[in-house]
Amino acid sequence: MSTLKKRYTLTQSQKMMIFVLSMSLYGLSNMFTELIPSIQLGPIELSVEYFAFIPLTLCMLFHPLYAAVGAAVGEVIFGELMLGQFGGLGELEKFITFSLAMYIAGRMVSDPKNRRQVGIAAISGVAIHQFCSSVIDIAKVWVGVEELEAVQGLAESIVIIEGVGFLNDVLFSGILFALLPTMYLVPRLYGKIEPLLGMKPRERTMQYASGSKSWLSPKLLGGAILLALIAMGAELLSESGWSIGEFELPGAESNEGTLIWISMLAAAAVAAVVLAVILRKAARRRQEAGQLDG
Amino acid sequence: MVEAVKRALGKISVEHIKLELLGTAYNSSSTFLGRLDPRMLLIWYLFFAITPWFIYNRTILLGMFVFMVVTTVLSKVSPYIVFILCLGLVSQIGWMFLLSLFFGGGAESLLPMLTLTLKLSVISLASITVFSSLDPERLSDGLSALGVPDAFAFSLSYGYRILPTLLEEFHQILLSFRLRGQRPEKHGFLYLRTAAYYLRILVLVFYPLMLNTAKRSRTTVEALETRGYTYAVNNPKVKKLRLSYLAMHRRDWLFVAFTVVYISLLFPLGAAFPNLLY
Repeated sequence: MSTLKKRYTLTQSQKMMIFVLSMSLYGLSNMFTELIPSIQLGPIELSVEYFAFIPLTLCMLFHPLYAAVGAAVGEVIFGELMLGQFGGLGELEKFITFSLAMYIAGRMVSDPKNRRQVGIAAISGVAIHQFCSSVIDIAKVWVGVEELEAVQGLAESIVIIEGVGFLNDVLFSGILFALLPTMYLVPRLYGKIEPLLGMKPRERTMQYASGSKSWLSPKLLGGAILLALIAMGAELLSESGWSIGEFELPGAESNEGTLIWISMLAAAAVAAVVLAVILRKAARRRQEAGQLDG
Repeated sequence: MVEAVKRALGKISVEHIKLELLGTAYNSSSTFLGRLDPRMLLIWYLFFAITPWFIYNRTILLGMFVFMVVTTVLSKVSPYIVFILCLGLVSQIGWMFLLSLFFGGGAESLLPMLTLTLKLSVISLASITVFSSLDPERLSDGLSALGVPDAFAFSLSYGYRILPTLLEEFHQILLSFRLRGQRPEKHGFLYLRTAAYYLRILVLVFYPLMLNTAKRSRTTVEALETRGYTYAVNNPKVKKLRLSYLAMHRRDWLFVAFTVVYISLLFPLGAAFPNLLY
């Protein structure tokens, strides 16, 4: 074998194919998971949170960015809009954390046939996503409920609920609906599903051409932390209307309202711009690098 | 307990869910709201999705809630969807309440929760109303007229188009799995065995489905490209031509006027009777 790498980039339509595939599959599964009833054992709830194995599998087999964003869009469209559960700006946080976690999981895998690697990546993806959303939920209530102390035991109960939720999602949903199916599907689908989209399978043992040898490139991590902060900011701002048991001074409402409005719009705009820039940059880098996996 | 589980399982069949979902997604243009201008409806929705967060006056929230209930009835939403919504709201609030009782709270922690529930219900009902009464075509046109990226608008209309096909295919594969497999002899404790059996199948179904969908998405994208999709997306003239049919009619203006009058009457009413509810 020569050391020359075959140049192989995805065309615009192939990216679109990955996007559409990920969107429709994950969207469909999301409809079912929305409808599956959860088993309540006291405050502990065993629920099928989501079929994370679908976006995980697709992120490991295809280009992680398009598969991840496609899955997030699919969730918004099928699971939220079609079922009439769209939560407005709060969805932004879910969208960003979810696609980010899936993208990282996809980047962690260099050899789709290696089950150990696939398994570790799958459970890490779920853990990252759940951890982010738990932290955001706790912060939401702690910051949003100004008179937190007035309501006895609310603060503790939120942390407990979120902690239990996190453990349930990672251990129950994570193992049953992310780890095992992903380990089963990825090696099986590798080499079978790519030709159906008219592309070559990912090179095994291929390392990403993003400078460092490991999947944890500093750029990715920095971007991840930045995005997480932005997501958190957007979420907090959109929730800061939560004022529980509070008596407003007359006139304070309107001023505070406008301030919150402005900051909310700013956060959304910043998040959008950052996302756009990152996507652009990634696209340009890929074009320059001519990476193997497009 | 076991009875309840049995009843729930009896209610939930794939066929039933399929019909409900299709009903929700497609029962649109026959309703009054479905004939309104999509751009106007989307802006209307944005108002009701954002403002409740900043309103602390319970009377105003209640008034909004009543209005939302009326529009939801007008849009003929399937009761199943409303039921799911209620279940989600009630369980979320209920657990918080129970736990805060456990930590020494009391009934007074229920009232703030109620306000929050009211806000969430207004927002969810608004989204149910708008998104279930607009048909996909009009919805995606409305979105792209308001400047949402075309990829998202396309995904939306594609999602609506492809859903029945996907559900049909999913159901076929599920049935073939059930034909070849064997159901557990006993239901087990709390139907756990049966649930596990079905969940396992549900996951396995996605293996063939992934391959099928891959083929389909390739066909879709190729069909799009042959009709010049990318060119059309990047060309403002095409967009203008496509959206030229959107116009505000008299009924749209009437609807807007009614909403504005109603909301502007609510605010003085809320200021006069802030504690109408509790």
